[in-house]
This record gives sequence, structure tokens and C-alpha cells, in this order.
Amino acid sequence: MNLLTVKNITKHYSGHTALSDVSLDVPQGSIYGLLGPNGAGKSTLIRVINRITMPDEGSVIFNSHPITDEDIYQIGYLPEERGLYKKMKVGEQALFFARLKGLSRKDALKALKEWFVRFGIESWWDKKVEDLSKGMAQKVQFITTVLHRPKLLIFDEPFSGFDPINANLLKQEILRLRDEGATVIFSTHNMASVEEICDHITLIDKSKNILSGSVDEVRRRFGENVFELTYGGVSADEMQQLLQPIADVLSMTPIADSPYDLCRVRLNNGVQVRDAIAKVNDAVELRSFREVIPSMNEIFIRAVEGSL
Amino acid sequence: MNKIKIIIAREFNERVRNKTFIITTILMPVLMIVLMAVPSLIMFFATGDEKELLVIDESGLMAESLENTDELKFTFTDLSLSEARANTEVFGVLWIGQNIVDEPTQAQLYTNSSSSMLMEENISSQIEKVIENERLSRYDIENLEQIMKDVKANVVLTSYRNDKTTESGEAEEATSSAVTYMLGMILGVLLYMFLLLYGGMVMNSVIEEKSSRVLDVLVSSVSPFQLLMGKILGVASVAITQVAIWAVLVCGIGSAVLPLLMPDDIMQTVEAVQAGQMTTIDADIDADMLSALSFATDTGKLVMLFVYLLLFLLGGFLFYAAMFAAVGSAVDSVQDSNQLQTPIMIPIFLAFFLSMAVFNDPNSTMAFWGSIIPFTSPVVMLARIPFDIPTWQIWFSLAVLYASVVGVAWVAGKIYRVGIFMHGKKPSFKELWQWIKQ
Repeated sequence: MNLLTVKNITKHYSGHTALSDVSLDVPQGSIYGLLGPNGAGKSTLIRVINRITMPDEGSVIFNSHPITDEDIYQIGYLPEERGLYKKMKVGEQALFFARLKGLSRKDALKALKEWFVRFGIESWWDKKVEDLSKGMAQKVQFITTVLHRPKLLIFDEPFSGFDPINANLLKQEILRLRDEGATVIFSTHNMASVEEICDHITLIDKSKNILSGSVDEVRRRFGENVFELTYGGVSADEMQQLLQPIADVLSMTPIADSPYDLCRVRLNNGVQVRDAIAKVNDAVELRSFREVIPSMNEIFIRAVEGSL
Repeated sequence: MNKIKIIIAREFNERVRNKTFIITTILMPVLMIVLMAVPSLIMFFATGDEKELLVIDESGLMAESLENTDELKFTFTDLSLSEARANTEVFGVLWIGQNIVDEPTQAQLYTNSSSSMLMEENISSQIEKVIENERLSRYDIENLEQIMKDVKANVVLTSYRNDKTTESGEAEEATSSAVTYMLGMILGVLLYMFLLLYGGMVMNSVIEEKSSRVLDVLVSSVSPFQLLMGKILGVASVAITQVAIWAVLVCGIGSAVLPLLMPDDIMQTVEAVQAGQMTTIDADIDADMLSALSFATDTGKLVMLFVYLLLFLLGGFLFYAAMFAAVGSAVDSVQDSNQLQTPIMIPIFLAFFLSMAVFNDPNSTMAFWGSIIPFTSPVVMLARIPFDIPTWQIWFSLAVLYASVVGVAWVAGKIYRVGIFMHGKKPSFKELWQWIKQ
């Protein structure tokens, strides 16, 4: 089931089009990556979902009904540009944002205490935000985003500004929230984090959705019949001759300190993988044979350049 | 509505707990009282030590006529001028020539230190009086003393208002113009300061939210309109709190503290004046002083004045705050705001200058329209109110002001809604106009 469906959203600003006929489905309980170069329209899309901006055309379906103002209580949004009132005390500020999200004072206090204990930051309660470091302030902001237990969490570049230890802590918390039933939308350029935690992605470029699907499916779609073989027992020349009839040899590299060599090939059209394996396996000592799936980074670049 | 309340509460708490607010709220009235009291205090302490003057009177006319004052003591002496001048223990020597009546230049003052202009005037006017009397007596008029007494008049001008009557149907005595003038000035300046101060506060607060990107978080919970309303009403409640504290202080001092400090007989006179049983000239106290006292201890009048102050303050603030917020939303930093602020500042300055013109003629056409047109009306009307202008003008002005607040807020809200999401280049007036039309 989809928690959020975006249908044919179009948004024009005076002079340019920010979103053009963008659709996507965010399955319940998924971690959904929203990718795209700067200025592609990601922020506008997030604002449309948050009901900050109204689309010119199209609709947003949340939890099987057209989204309403009441639904924004069910959304937690962490913008890319973080902001807290500098002169305000941490506790009061967290309480303020929680109450704006519809929590009663009592519930908010209780939930806040839990989070502050979990992050080990109880002593910050009466500190002013301007006395916190950037990373500390980010933690506080993360708490204010997730405190009201929203069904949908939208994070814009959540890991920027965190050291690896805290980034990992944050990742664990996000996964935990997902396990507890939240759905997460990630907007990022960091492809490594996409591969690590996202299960679905949408790639937006020049205001259009150019690629959507589950991460596995997308990577397979971009796979180009390229395979990597580890072998031994024959020379590079012999191997090349052997492969000539069925594939293009892309590269051959010896593996240091081992009797084996590495070779990367693209199978010719019509050649079955099992036939290729059988042929090679008869002639050499085959250690491994695996498909090379492009990284999200490559897919990102290829998809964006391909859409030019 | 609930969200607006939460925002109002935040704005209010953050500001009221601020040290600056507490200090200005307490110090402003103290400062005002000190400022008003300083001149009389200086006068009080400036009456310096008694100075002794040796007088060599060759004319023989001065002996009975020169009167000692708080500052001056005349001691007549038979010493010669040079002998007297050798005495450095006295302040100085006054020499009066034999023929002073016909030759007024025959008066000389020798002092051992610098003398003051005030003292010299005092001496010369006393001598003039003697000469005058001397010359008059040469005409040999009978009953001269009696005639002089009869001729002398002390004019005290008391003004009445034909358009205001007391309960008994007589024309009401107008408040002394000195008091009215002062009040008008204080009220006008106060409102002018409040508009700039609190308007600027709204603008800076919007800029802070925008530049610190708190806004991005806020607008995912509340609509820009709710945010704007909450902020403006929050700051307004701070302003109202401040004025209310002052009102309580002033009325309290006026009705409880002042009567205790003043001697009983003065307070009885004041009460008689307030009750309309007496006019200020009948009393033997200075009319301006009495008028000021009777005003300061009249709680009813004071409360009414503060009600008007609050109404115009709130209206004026709402009128300008939305505009200040719009400017704040259009820029990224306080430095960028100067140019866009100009169209807001000009009418406020204009209002200030118009209120100065009010003191010349509170009922001139300019003063009237200045106090009706909402751009200048809060400041100008408050400067006029102490002059007892017709009540319908006050309410009409308020109605116009509050009606236009809605229009201004609507236009400013449009700029605000677009502006808060615009980062980078400072928009031109043309662009602002396009945002309004969107």
C-alpha cells in the first residue's frame, strides 16, 4: 500500500517551471530516496507535499485521501537549511515546535524527555541554542522533527554536518523509526547513503521525474550485460582468445599477490549467461563470475546526462 | 487559531523576559520624571550662597530702598571706595554716585570674583526703581503712593471653552496651555517612538527567522498568514503590556503618591478646581502649576488618556507592523532592508513633523487631515487629543485607522507570503508590485 501518492504535479513560477508532470508512489514503511541535481525541483516537490506551496496542477494523496491541512500533523520535515531560534532555550524551543505540531504540552514534555535521555543530552535543556555547536543543534532539530511520531518523515540531506559517529547514530534512529511504522522520504545527493538505506528512489532532473523504482530494479535496469570473472590457469592472451567469440573484453588485470587474474567483459547480444559460464568453465579454473551492477552514483550521472 | 496563540505566546514570552524590556519599562517613567524635575532641581540648588556687597551711597537715596534678597546682602559703609575695594572678604563693592538720579551711569560694581548676569540685573533694576520713584516725586503729585498702587495690574489670562460646558452650564475652564502643550508633545513623541521601535522589532524578527531558516521549519506546521498574525499580535501584546504598566504607574503616582507629597492646602485647592468650584486664577498658587497638579491627580482623565493612547498605539502599530513585516520578508539581512524601509519611514517622519505643527494650531486643516489619514493619524491625533478636540473626530480617526489596517495587512501579507521563500537578490519595488499582483 502506498502512504503517499503524488499525481501529475505541475508547478510554474514566474519565468520557469519547477515541476512538470511529476508522479511518484511512496510505499508504506519504505525509505524513499528523492534524488536529483541542485535546482531540479526536489525542494519544490517537498514543499508541495508539505502544503507550503500549492501546485498549479495535480494532486497529492496521503493515506488514501487527498491531503488536507490536518494531515501536516502527520508529517515531520527536516529542511536542508537547519534553523532554530538562537536566543531561545533548547527545551522551550523543542516544546514550541512540538506544540505547533499539535501535541499537548504534557505529551510533548514526556516525549521530549525520552528523546533527550536517548541522545544523552538532558543537560542541554536550559542551554541557549547559540551556545550549542552545529552538530548539537542538528540533534535538537532532529528530535523536534520526529517528536510527534509522524507517519511520514521528510529529511532533506539529514547527514550533512554530522561526524561519522553521529551520522551513524542518526541512521540507526531513522531505521528504528521506519521499523516502528514510519515512512521516510530522503532528499539527497549522497548516493552512498541511498545505496545503504533506501529501498525506493525517484530521480528528478530539470523538473521532470526521469527515473523511479525500487533500488534493486533500477540498478538491474541500468546493468549493461557486463560481467566480472576471476580465473586462473591460463595466460591473459589465451583468455582473450577464448572469450573473443562471445564477448567484448573490456579490461584484464592481474590480481596482486595471487595466482588469479581479473577480467571484465560485455557479453554479445544473444549470448546466454549460462552458456558463457559453461564455455569458460571448461577451459580455465573459474573462481567467480558475477554481474557488474552500476552504483547509484553512476546511474545518477548516466540518467542525468542521458536526459540532456 | 490555537497555533496563532502558541506563536503569540512565544513572541510575548521571549520579549517580556528580555532584560531590555524590563529595563526600559521601569526606567522610562523614571527617566521622564527626572527630565521634568531637573530644571526645578537646578533652580533650587543654583540659589547659591549669600553674597555680601558693600554699598558706598554718595546720593543718600539708596539706604532705605535696596532690598536684600536670598543671594544678595547690602551693607552700607562710610569707607572710601579704595578702602572698601581693599576688603576681599566681601563679594564686592557697589558705588552709587551723588547725582545718580540725573546721571544713571553713576553706578559701579567692583567684584572680587565673577558676578552673574542675574545678579547684575537684580541690582540695576533695584536702582532703576529708586531713580524712577525719585524722578516721579519731583512732579510733586499728591497721593503718589496710592496712585502707583492703583495703576499697577497683574494680568492672568484664563481661557474658557465655549464648546465645553460644566455641569452648571457655564463655559468650562480650559486646561492651561502649558500643560496641554507638554502632554501633546509627550504623547506624540511616545507614539512616534513606539511605531519605529516596535515596527522595527517585527521587521527584525521576520529577518531573523528568514536568515536563520527557522521559517522553513515553521511553515511546515503553520501557514505563513498564521505566522504573520501571530508575530504581529505577539509584539503588539508586548507594547500593550508596556503601556499598561506605565498607565498603572502614572495613575498610581498621580492619585496616591502626589497628594501625600503636596501640602494639604494645595491639595484642597486642587480638589476645588477639579470639582469646578474654583478657577485657577482665584487660587493663590501659580496657575500653570495648579493646572498640572489638578490634571496629574485626576485619575479619570488620566485613564481616558491612556485608553486613547492604547487604541491609537495598537491601530498605528497594526497598520505599520504588517508593512515592516513585508519588508523584512523581502530581504535576507537587516543591512539590505534600509532602502525598502524608506516608503514606510517617510510617513512616520511626516507624522512627527505634522504633530509639531499641531502645537501652533490644533484645529488647522492640516492638523485635522493629518489626524484622520491613517498614515499619520496615530501620532498627530495623539498630539491633538490633549487640546480637547471634538470626540467624534477621535472616533472617526480610529474607525478609518482600523479599517485601513485590514487593507494594509492584506497587501503586506501577499508580499510576505512570496518574500519569505525568496533568497538571494534583494527585490526591487517593481518586483514587490508583481508579488502583490500574483
